[in-house]
Amino acid sequence: MTVVLEKSNIPKLTEALSRQYLVVDYEKDKTALSVKGYFLAPREKLFSFFSKTKKLSVRSSPKRKLLLFGLDLADIEALGQLDEIMTKPREDYFYLRKRRNSLIVGVVEHSITMPVATGDLILEKINPSQYRAVSLTKAGQEIVKNKFFKKEKNPEILIYPEEKSNLRELAQDSELLAEAVSWARVKNHPIWEKLEKICLGCGICAYVCPICHCFSMEDEIEIDGSASHRCRYWDACVLNNFSRVAGGKNFRPALKNRYFNWFYHKFVRAYKEYDNSQCVGCGRCQKYCPAEIDIEKVLSEIIRDYEKSLSAPTG
Amino acid sequence: MKNLYQPQPVKIEKIEFLSPSVKLLRLKKRLNFVPGQFVLAGLWGYGEAPFGPASSPYQKQYFDLMVRKGGTVSAAFHSLKKGDEITVRGPYGNGFPLDFFKGKDILMVSGGCGIPPIASLTEYLIKNREDFGRIYLAYGATNPDEILIKDMVDRWQKSVKVLLTVDAPTPDWRGRVGFVTELIKEMKVNPLDTVVVMCGPGPMVAAMEKILKSIGITDRRIFISEERKMQCGIGKCQHCATGEKYVCLDGPVFNYDEIDKNFD
Repeated sequence: MTVVLEKSNIPKLTEALSRQYLVVDYEKDKTALSVKGYFLAPREKLFSFFSKTKKLSVRSSPKRKLLLFGLDLADIEALGQLDEIMTKPREDYFYLRKRRNSLIVGVVEHSITMPVATGDLILEKINPSQYRAVSLTKAGQEIVKNKFFKKEKNPEILIYPEEKSNLRELAQDSELLAEAVSWARVKNHPIWEKLEKICLGCGICAYVCPICHCFSMEDEIEIDGSASHRCRYWDACVLNNFSRVAGGKNFRPALKNRYFNWFYHKFVRAYKEYDNSQCVGCGRCQKYCPAEIDIEKVLSEIIRDYEKSLSAPTG
Repeated sequence: MKNLYQPQPVKIEKIEFLSPSVKLLRLKKRLNFVPGQFVLAGLWGYGEAPFGPASSPYQKQYFDLMVRKGGTVSAAFHSLKKGDEITVRGPYGNGFPLDFFKGKDILMVSGGCGIPPIASLTEYLIKNREDFGRIYLAYGATNPDEILIKDMVDRWQKSVKVLLTVDAPTPDWRGRVGFVTELIKEMKVNPLDTVVVMCGPGPMVAAMEKILKSIGITDRRIFISEERKMQCGIGKCQHCATGEKYVCLDGPVFNYDEIDKNFD
């Protein structure tokens, strides 16, 4: 038996779900930003401290369960990585508190060929009018009990190949990426100089990335001094002051260093930490970079030269 | 789930100038730490910054921070008085590999504001004096006023050979003048049985490493306490990343071999 959902019933389903959950129809309202902001907000208050009473309060988060509807496979994969990053080696309270109060429903417009490890329910397109529902968790099973889901013995199952994305393919080979990016630093590949001249150092690549998670903290004070709030906000490692310490020393003074560090983190340090490159090939940084830096071309160039160096005679 | 970002309030028991730009903050709290670890100390309305405790890890009543007026948080700390409250969380990081140090000669090298973790380590070594061979502490300051361990030197001298030097002497200064690197001439060093511990300015560490290497002390026996920008203390925020390592998790103490090939 296959559990199926008629495509035409999707709006009714999300409407029904919104009686129980805070539903964000991510497929409908897709923006430049990924879903990471629902768990690691662009700016959020973590604590408030009241001067008079000297009371410290941990800021509360919404009680109502959040249901994110319509993520594609790349975004689901990215969220799975972010979950791991925020759990290991030590738990990030504020991220996990929100994440554990959420449900993820993926909508995949092609046939799934690999197991999906993150999310609660996946809707996979099987023919022009139907999706197959695969629940991955108990919460997913609950959703499937909804009247819009039907059990069918032999639904028509067509094969929809995934739209080919070079970047997504590149991102899969995390071992090669780790080797190539490391090599490009050791050999002082000219690409870093080249990128330094083009990159505006604006940090948009990190903000739109579904996995980039660097942040800073600062205190906000009420105008009457009655309370201060410890806030955390998105930072970006290409920004000038990212590694600057009190007294003025900046450990990455040149944009070249910072840009390289962004790559190094994504493709080398991440690979050593989590066995993955922190890129799922979603293409957002490619699309939104105001200087039109194309991560796919950059990676391809590095890999091409790295592979050339391997086949070149040594000595 | 534990909230690792939640700081604890702690009272200032004593606050005084150690030098024209550095204040000692004695905080009334028992802190269980290994010398070389650090805490994130903060003040509501100003934020948090990393500091290595300078007091003995055996001290049960309090712990000490040495705070140079340099950033937002440290400047705010300077304006506080006895009885005021700040916050701390931690300790974080690895601390010095004390077991590895056992039975060996210890050579500590520090400059300026790099002294707090070294001071704490010195207290530990003195308390366990019989576990170690010769112990040297070479400390350099820009001028005599900036020597942050004036009050400790006499006591420490009884168990540890303390060598002080300044870059710019005052007329009443009777001690050495010059860089800490020159102090090595005054030490008896058996390269096969010595560990070196350094915390101080980058150029000092780099110059010292060259000398140490030339006398046969291997990089794996040279330990550095690193400084980086810190925000989270638990390996998330990325500010302290250097190469493959996080200074907050893998450090702040590294042997030179681990960070030698790092580029930032």
